[in-house]
Amino acid sequence: MKNYIPFLFLLTLLISVGCEEQEKAELTEEEQRELALEIHKRVLTVDTHADTPLRMIEPGFDMSVRHDPKETGSKVDYPRMKEGDLDAIFFAAFVAQDIRDDDGHSRAKALCLQMIDSIVASTSRNSDIVGLALNPEDAYALEDEGKRAIYIGIENGYPIGNDLSNVELYYNKGVRYITLVHSSNNDIADSATDSEGPEHGGLSTFGEEVVKEMNRLGIMVDVSHGNDSLFYDTVKLSKAPIIASHSNARSVTDHRRNMTDEMLKLMADNGGVVQLTMLADYLREAPPNVERDSAMAALRANMKPIGEMTDEERDALRQAFRDINEKYPAPPATVEHVVDHIDHIVKVAGIDHVGIGCDFDGGGGIQGVFDASEVMNITIELVKRGYSEEQIEKIWGGNLIRVFKEVQAYAKENAQS
Amino acid sequence: MAHPLRLSLCEIEWDEKKNKITVNLRLFLTDVNEALVFDPNSKELAFCQPNEAKNAETLLLNYLDRFFYIKSNNKRQKLKIQRKKLAGEGEDTALWLYFELDQPTSLKSLEIKNAVFTDLFFDQNNIVYVHVRGKSKSLMLSKKTPVHHLKY
Repeated sequence: MKNYIPFLFLLTLLISVGCEEQEKAELTEEEQRELALEIHKRVLTVDTHADTPLRMIEPGFDMSVRHDPKETGSKVDYPRMKEGDLDAIFFAAFVAQDIRDDDGHSRAKALCLQMIDSIVASTSRNSDIVGLALNPEDAYALEDEGKRAIYIGIENGYPIGNDLSNVELYYNKGVRYITLVHSSNNDIADSATDSEGPEHGGLSTFGEEVVKEMNRLGIMVDVSHGNDSLFYDTVKLSKAPIIASHSNARSVTDHRRNMTDEMLKLMADNGGVVQLTMLADYLREAPPNVERDSAMAALRANMKPIGEMTDEERDALRQAFRDINEKYPAPPATVEHVVDHIDHIVKVAGIDHVGIGCDFDGGGGIQGVFDASEVMNITIELVKRGYSEEQIEKIWGGNLIRVFKEVQAYAKENAQS
Repeated sequence: MAHPLRLSLCEIEWDEKKNKITVNLRLFLTDVNEALVFDPNSKELAFCQPNEAKNAETLLLNYLDRFFYIKSNNKRQKLKIQRKKLAGEGEDTALWLYFELDQPTSLKSLEIKNAVFTDLFFDQNNIVYVHVRGKSKSLMLSKKTPVHHLKY
């Protein structure tokens, strides 16, 4: 680390005389990398979406221990947050949707509360390295203490059921954003991906009450996973800025879960923020993998009838398919794709309306940003493309914290009026 | 989350009045096809279609026999599909399987193994919700931790 000091002094001097952009262009790749790592260390880094509570309910899973992502599939634990200099994260309590009746809702509520309790228990058990965060300022305070900030969100409003009082219950438990809907419609809103199509035309009447209640309490309204009408309804109705905790730009990658340019502009008008996610399918259209498909087709053509295979023969065949996948891997989504989306959102909505929500442990993780220990690679790519420290600070947390503060300010003013 | 997230969902409930344990297992159809016939997009087994293959259920149960079980009061239950249906569309299509298991005596323990598709994907996550005597619990089982024992 001491070797960087003269270099950093030089950089600070250059920034002070306003030559940053020019000098950055003249830096070698290694110097850009070192600069990026220093910026990454200095700015508050916030990831707004991780499904890590699913890991917390895995028997024996310990958040204080480093896990090998290639071995276990786990993408976040506290040691890897530290390695990646990830200062704050929103752990999303996720409950898979089931029947939308009283029984289904009450079970979903019980399961959601269990997941929230798991998050709180994990922060208590590891209070020497992390802290439960409830307010925007907590992230900075915990960073100063050398601890990671753990915020709580809920992914899918299904556990609210049709009882508005549950919103306050979750707020009191520490929840600071709620994703209104997930992959299927619920009583609140329409999903972007429900196979039956829209049911409410966006927000339901009850969903409107939920948004108002979230505004009243100071919970961020999250429109990720919602269909386009849900976005338009919410951005119009919400009295405070809204977020998309894990969504990308549709002009760059045409996917229903991503946001159109019109939506991005409205998000800017609203003062909200779109948090970029590391899901490969939302970052780039997967190119065809002809060699792999041909090799697999040839293997299938020579297979013994399935019903006549022994378990040993099946296992051997499975290995043969695995070998083909390893020989002809699908072209990966990369950190360059991530910053392509950031570039586009900055161009359409402005630098104040983009952030990061990786969706680790929920499908997120790409080449270069495979888990929490690698998130600094986003900063390296941002520096390579000429983003300044001030801009990077906004992307990595400043924008989200601004929205969070405005959401709380609205709630406070509303409570006093 | 969206497929290709490696995920399955299993909901287990003890119906004390009917002396039954009910099990709902939701699997992505592409994963089922990959596991059984080595082709995620295969139409060969045609689950829940008029032309469903005669051996489709047998192949599925043979597969589940290797990767999934429920033991109640330390006795392994035999699985027989009561009902099944398809839900969703495209790559998100799920095969829903419903089982009813006899449990004539008071439930004292459940042991659940859910390692479905861990032979295909190292990062497969199998969420299990258990509802017993009005209490709900969620678990996540995986390749590393495929089995969990619950006492009542």
